[in-house]
Amino acid sequence: MIDVRFDAVSKRYRLRHGPRAAGREQEFWAIHDVSFDVAQGETLGIIGHNGAGKSTILKLLSRITAPTTGTITLNGRLAALIEVGSGFHPELTGRENIFLSGSILGMKRREIARKLDRIIEFSGVERFIDMPVKWYSSGMYVRLGFGVAAHLEADILLVDEVLAVGDAAFQARCCDRIAELRRAGTTMLFISHDLTSIARLCDRAMLMDHGRIALAGAPADVIRQYQHLVGAACASEVAGAAAAARAGAARVADVTFIGVDGEAIAATYTGDPLCAAVDIDVTAPVHDAVVEVFYYTRDGRTLHCQQSTALSGGAITLVPGRRRIEFTCDAMGLQPGVYAIGASIRERAGAGAIDWWYGSRVLTVEPGKSVRGYFYAPHEWRWADARAAIAHHPADV
Amino acid sequence: MGTVVIRPASSAWLHVAEHLARLREYRDLLLTLSLHRISVRYKQTSLGVLWAVLQPLLMMTIFTAVFSVLARMPSDGVPYALFAYTALLPWTFFSTSVTNGTNSLVSHTQLITKVYFPREILPITYVVVALFDFAIGFLVLLGLLAWFHVPLTLQIWKLVPVVALLASWSLAVSLVLAAIQVRFRDVGVALPVLVQLWMFASPVIYPLSVVPESWRSWYLLNPMAGIVSACRDILARGGTLDGAPLRAAVIVTAMALPAAYLFFKRAEATMADVI
Repeated sequence: MIDVRFDAVSKRYRLRHGPRAAGREQEFWAIHDVSFDVAQGETLGIIGHNGAGKSTILKLLSRITAPTTGTITLNGRLAALIEVGSGFHPELTGRENIFLSGSILGMKRREIARKLDRIIEFSGVERFIDMPVKWYSSGMYVRLGFGVAAHLEADILLVDEVLAVGDAAFQARCCDRIAELRRAGTTMLFISHDLTSIARLCDRAMLMDHGRIALAGAPADVIRQYQHLVGAACASEVAGAAAAARAGAARVADVTFIGVDGEAIAATYTGDPLCAAVDIDVTAPVHDAVVEVFYYTRDGRTLHCQQSTALSGGAITLVPGRRRIEFTCDAMGLQPGVYAIGASIRERAGAGAIDWWYGSRVLTVEPGKSVRGYFYAPHEWRWADARAAIAHHPADV
Repeated sequence: MGTVVIRPASSAWLHVAEHLARLREYRDLLLTLSLHRISVRYKQTSLGVLWAVLQPLLMMTIFTAVFSVLARMPSDGVPYALFAYTALLPWTFFSTSVTNGTNSLVSHTQLITKVYFPREILPITYVVVALFDFAIGFLVLLGLLAWFHVPLTLQIWKLVPVVALLASWSLAVSLVLAAIQVRFRDVGVALPVLVQLWMFASPVIYPLSVVPESWRSWYLLNPMAGIVSACRDILARGGTLDGAPLRAAVIVTAMALPAAYLFFKRAEATMADVI
């Protein structure tokens, strides 16, 4: 059963410069001839650059604006998981505003009354619920607005950059809520820059580029393509073709992290030693191979890359079979956070990758060595001036 | 809620039955929003809801002072204060609901660009608020009638269809002006002048009887002419209605409201792009 169907949908915006009387108009197709289906219970992730058409799809689905051509068919009630603080009236209390924004989102008064306690608890504003929201802090305002939207009963849910709202604890609550709805069989469209969430949450992903669908398929493949688009070092077509011919010779099977005791770990501490193990399935020999491990931010920017050439300097020849390459570092300098992990295999001479893996694997870094700035680097200190050292220890004289 | 088809802007507005069904689905929003408008309005004022009583009384006093005492305007044998008040009641309904309704979309830009709901709900809520004010104004009128020893007759029931007509006409005007205002803010700028002009083109400060016979048929194309004088006839003059002006008002409104709704729905489809 298809829950969402886009049938040759296009949306044109007219951009106007200066007052209407001057009459200079420019046309701009935000999306062009876009068709796709989302099956019942499926989670589709939509990624792409800013201006690729993601938000337009969101606006059309939530009926904020109508398409220029084409039709969209929805089977069931659609709700957008957005922060609705803009629907609040400052003079009304938190409780009254729950009713107001709930009904703006299409909930019945009875439905809101039934969920009132859960919404209040979710938002964490129990003590202030009978106070006008004009006295709320901006955080409380946002949490309450989001709490209402999170309790909509919907068959189809639109999620737009959900993780940008609130503090870590609130974000975790939002993620739980999304997972809960997903288990309940809600169809989801997930629009995000957060590639890690897309990889983890979605059954399928779609890459938008200049208003068209560039690629749709398994999240890992689509994210890989997006990384290619984002990456500054774009392979030339010739090199790409050469790599394609070699593709399949070797595949990254998995990347795991190993602690000091030899056990697999999911989290480490800033400044601790780290060992990343890349498992590779080799089917045909690859000479002079380069293996790399990438550390990405949640929105897909490369923070750090470990390369096998830098490790040994020597040439690696991959021979058929399951192989494992370990990257060790004495003090890993990433600051606390959650990082997405990728890995690639390529030939030193070729520009295109033989394989590019972007799994749902993440590395959590807990606070260890203190980080002021962007990263930690191992360092020591000593007195450069012998006399200063003496002055500091008068007892030694 | 079954299948929803989102159609291109050029044809979306034609599916009137769907729009009306959707409006019905959102009736809770209409109710909640209207109630909140009423409860919010007098918050942080020291006199509170007393203002709803004071406002029409003050207007009546000013009108009586200027037009009766100074200008010696005829009032068909009715005390001028009562004459003015019974016309101000429907007129204030019209002017406030149209003024607020016209601005209702642009003053909710944040909502319109973020959430979907039938946009006509915004102007409609201001008509509901005007109804509430009308009810309070009516209670004040009962006091005035007692003061002037004017008896209330059973003919008062005629007020119900006339108020329904008044609400329909106010809504039609609000829908059209609000939809235009989204694209051309000129409407909002011109509106106070327009409303002022409209009042002088309606029998608010003068009786319908002073309008020359040769202008009549044109004059009555303004439904407010029939509505205002009908209200006055029912409330202050024992309920004998003059049929022709009211008939004209009914015909014009019956044509205007459906047309205004379609116009609004056509503009609604791409409203969020231009607001």
